[in-house]
Amino acid sequence: MLSFAARRLLLAVPVLLGVVFVVMLTIDLLPGDAVTLMLGEHATKDAVAALREHLGLDKPFLVRYLDYVGRLLRGDLGRSIQQNRPVVAELADAWPATLELTVAALAVATAVGIAAGVVSAVWPNSLFDAAARLASLFGLSMPIFWTGLVLMVVFSLWLNWLPVGGAGSLSHLVLPAVTLALPSVAMISRMSRSAVLDVLGEDYVRTARAKGVGELWVLGKHALRNAFIPILTLLGLQSGQLMGGAVLTETVFSWPGLGRLIVKAIFARDYVLLQGAVLVFALAFVVVNLLVDLSYGLLDPRVARQG
Amino acid sequence: MRTLAARLLITLLVLGLTAALVPAADAQKRGGTLTIVRPTDPVSLDPNLETTAPGAWVYFNLLEGLLTLDETMQIKPVLATSYEVLSPTKVRFKLRPGVKFHDGTPFNAAAVKFTFDRALRGNPPARWASLAGSLSGAEVVDDLTVDIVTREPYGPILRTLAMYCMGIVSPTAVQKMGADFSRAPVGTGPFRFVEWKTNTHVIIERSPDYWGDRALVDRVVFRVVPEEGARMIALQTGDADMVLFPSPAQLQALRRDPKYTVHETTGLRVVFAGLHAGLPPLDDVRVRQALLHAVDRKAILDNIMEGSAGPARGVLAPGVFGYKDMQLDRLYPFDRARAKALLAQAGWVPGADGILQKSGQRLSLSWLAARGRYPKDGEITEAIQAMLKDVGVEAKVQILEWAAVFQQVRGNPFNHHLFTLGWVTSNADADYSLYPLFHSKQVPPTGWNTSRYANPKVDALVEQARRSLNQTEREKLYGEVQDILAKEMVWIPVYTTKEIIVTRAAVKGFSIHPVEYNLGLWKTWVDK
Repeated sequence: MLSFAARRLLLAVPVLLGVVFVVMLTIDLLPGDAVTLMLGEHATKDAVAALREHLGLDKPFLVRYLDYVGRLLRGDLGRSIQQNRPVVAELADAWPATLELTVAALAVATAVGIAAGVVSAVWPNSLFDAAARLASLFGLSMPIFWTGLVLMVVFSLWLNWLPVGGAGSLSHLVLPAVTLALPSVAMISRMSRSAVLDVLGEDYVRTARAKGVGELWVLGKHALRNAFIPILTLLGLQSGQLMGGAVLTETVFSWPGLGRLIVKAIFARDYVLLQGAVLVFALAFVVVNLLVDLSYGLLDPRVARQG
Repeated sequence: MRTLAARLLITLLVLGLTAALVPAADAQKRGGTLTIVRPTDPVSLDPNLETTAPGAWVYFNLLEGLLTLDETMQIKPVLATSYEVLSPTKVRFKLRPGVKFHDGTPFNAAAVKFTFDRALRGNPPARWASLAGSLSGAEVVDDLTVDIVTREPYGPILRTLAMYCMGIVSPTAVQKMGADFSRAPVGTGPFRFVEWKTNTHVIIERSPDYWGDRALVDRVVFRVVPEEGARMIALQTGDADMVLFPSPAQLQALRRDPKYTVHETTGLRVVFAGLHAGLPPLDDVRVRQALLHAVDRKAILDNIMEGSAGPARGVLAPGVFGYKDMQLDRLYPFDRARAKALLAQAGWVPGADGILQKSGQRLSLSWLAARGRYPKDGEITEAIQAMLKDVGVEAKVQILEWAAVFQQVRGNPFNHHLFTLGWVTSNADADYSLYPLFHSKQVPPTGWNTSRYANPKVDALVEQARRSLNQTEREKLYGEVQDILAKEMVWIPVYTTKEIIVTRAAVKGFSIHPVEYNLGLWKTWVDK
């Protein structure tokens, strides 16, 4: 198991280098550059050239890439172009907020999604099932920035229950976490429903029922444990979705996280800062998926024996 | 005794009357917090690293320069008490005695020199160095006297020193804090820095030992709320007292609502459709004048801008020193018949497809514009395109991303007849616009004469005005330049931007400034 984890982590290195390359190339291909944006449109040609040289932006793309990777391998994330602040400091300010938000959203999505899915599977084609299906469709189709504003109008402006935005207390977390969770709730509940339905049709479930095992025990011990494997895979993928969705949610709710940092870096064409933030996301995604793979073994002893 | 009593009575009466007549002064309340929501976090709170609004809004309250511009755009002394022009390249300033920085360091001539040395000789130089023209530095004369020196005679020097980014910094703090200074600046202003939580808020508080009238509120919280809709909701729930960049669509309703105050004033940016005078057929002044007659500028203001912008009466905004009303509405009223007559004089006759033509050539113009760089820039471009069609002129509009437009207009040669642009007179001095935009040597990439306008008379006038330190003379010279430009029109000026800020009605004493960066909050108070 440990060697499996170590191998997977080692494999993450080329993945991360690839991510760095793509990010760098994308920002290089975008029109506009950091220096023009910093000095404004009235800057003299000489001032632009001098600052570009000072920041090393006059060097060719490949040189800058190798330069960056070289420093990265020595553990140096560099200083942000626009603010001249260590990228590590920027990330340290931002990542706890994003972690808090995505974990909360994942918790909401998992709890509500699985519960709704299981109930739908136990009473398929009931009124609840139909309502859940409709709600899922809604949750999946509505863009985050729209649901976010609607929730804000209802719960902050009309009911005055929750703050409009910002971070600090648990009450600040509720709206952004729910908004971010909504599309994932929909995905997870649909997936749980079909997984549980599949399992409930299996022979071993029929056998268990025939033995006279209580329905709750059948569901909890036999059905859910097996149904959980595809759900777990989905959770791993959803964590990536949530991190992506955090960019929008953080903007709507003024949440001071990595998503906002990424938006800021893109607008300023600050590739050093952008790299740092994207690396954190990529690393988190790699780790989450590793954890998911490892936990298959906990649910299914056969996987553990093979590993 | 009686007389004394009578005197007392009269005194009391007078005092009572005064109190009744000036309730505002008496009702002023100290204390409380003013919460401001705005779209973005600062880049930095050090003018050396940040000249854009998010940082400037904060540091304008923390740092002070030698001079400033008040709300009526007059130069007012701040850390200087008086000045005297010694020579065309040297101005001597007497400094305010007894002023201390927030860290206790005394303010003096050495601090002024330190600030300008750091900004102009640093590597890289300050972000505002490009805005400061010929400014070359400061020389200490004695503890409270300093000479500001320019490389060559530079008329706009006073307005340059009055810019929002010219705040004097505490040398001790800069030396002690190093790079951290940009996140916790130390100046002499009416507020001092408290805390900056990245992407959450910046907090500043009243400086207890300010040299002048102390600020009224205890503290100001600048919160970051990127979403426009969320900013407006924060104002409505009372989470915010003041909204910067309010939603334009809601302004009409807010103006009518007694719970809010919409503060607005004409800004310093003119948005225009530029004409390339070097590219036929726009090299013919009659054609350019015809285009001005063809455009209904009032309809654009009323129907597209809907009260969010003011009329453009010339190439400069009214708040700029040297501005002269170019009388465009009188010289070029919206009149299709006159437009057609002028085009006919220039030899353009109606063609088969409704577009004018001359010796087989159709009157077709290419137009480069961006969408979203300036308020409604795409919409006004399309509106003018339709208006030109009404007089038989075809405009082929190409709308590109701003960065791509920027690259082209800064390039040479430039092969579009028209271009939609905006220009803000950053230091509020006509030199900043008339010189780089209309001097014949300022064709890109050197300057911004995208119109390729060339008139030796104008060249001589803007040069003379730049070199003069006699402000009355300069104003006259700029007037002459604008008179000439009014005859030869190489722009279709469309509108002047407005600065708009919305507050709750309980926010008092705030006055909006034509320069968007000059967000002075020391006279503002909250009637809670």
